Amino acid sequence: MMKKYWIVFTLLGFYFSGYSQAFVTKNGMIRFYSETKLEKIEAVNRQVNVAFMPPTGDFFFKVLIKSFNFEKALMQEHFNENYLESAKYPDATFVGKITNYQEINFKKDGTYPANVEGKLTIHGQTRQVKQTGTLEIKNGLVTARAKFSILLADYNISVPNTVVNNISKSIEITVEATMAELNKN
Amino acid sequence: MKLWIKIVLALAVAGIAAVFFIVHFVVNKPHPDIEKMNPDYTLDAGKFYKEFRTSKQNAHKLYNGKVIEISGKLNRVESVDTMTIAVFVFNQGMFGEEGIRCTMLKKFSPEVKKLKSDGVVRIKGYCTGATETDVIMEKCSLIY
Repeated sequence: MMKKYWIVFTLLGFYFSGYSQAFVTKNGMIRFYSETKLEKIEAVNRQVNVAFMPPTGDFFFKVLIKSFNFEKALMQEHFNENYLESAKYPDATFVGKITNYQEINFKKDGTYPANVEGKLTIHGQTRQVKQTGTLEIKNGLVTARAKFSILLADYNISVPNTVVNNISKSIEITVEATMAELNKN
Repeated sequence: MKLWIKIVLALAVAGIAAVFFIVHFVVNKPHPDIEKMNPDYTLDAGKFYKEFRTSKQNAHKLYNGKVIEISGKLNRVESVDTMTIAVFVFNQGMFGEEGIRCTMLKKFSPEVKKLKSDGVVRIKGYCTGATETDVIMEKCSLIY
């Protein structure tokens, strides 16, 4: 509970602390992908809140677990009820920084490497993560892209023995979000 | 035909039928058709949003994963990639406007795009919860 309040206060802090620049979207995309010899499983969520503050490199996203869409209804049910327990843990968040933000020229179109560090919370478990991705600057929009893997065990997500061969222990996560500059006027 | 052969054949047929049944009706069962489902709750859009803002935990318990029908003044329709999102705005916050965001079923996109802002609409959809800024509804349909 305290973590959630901390995130809210952090965001409110971003907003009220007079940032000269903030890029946001409410339609970022996160994709889960699991592949084993028996089955490929993919889920996509296109309702992800993403915010990036260039003056400090602060980067944040929040995703509702129930907004992930699977091809198979049964897998979506299991994902929500048994694995991610979305009634108990309705969202996942990332709060961190793009650590090399000073190397990115936001006034010049181009694709820049981005080093991301922060706390990823899934299924109520928070882990420090460090990943690389890219930031594309184009026509005043900022598109963040990253692809990385997480271990289910790190987030206390257990898979029943009956389907243990159908779901990979390591899940590939793809993040893509095109953010527009927030107009505070 | 000998009796044991008949028994083996009967068991094989029953086995194949069972596998077909499980694959078709359990493993590959279709997603719930939200458009055809009766709403669990029918609410004024403003009241629905306010419940999430004043008591998020209670609202989550009550409405997450439920089919909700809301009515209210539609402020805007957004097109993002292939999605059409009907937006009810009730507040100004850190991400700009805040309210209820309803991702429409594709078949309703053309009609929703024609809707005039500030017109009163009824929309039914599947509530997936609320972020710090918005209540999210998916697989939404227009109610006439």
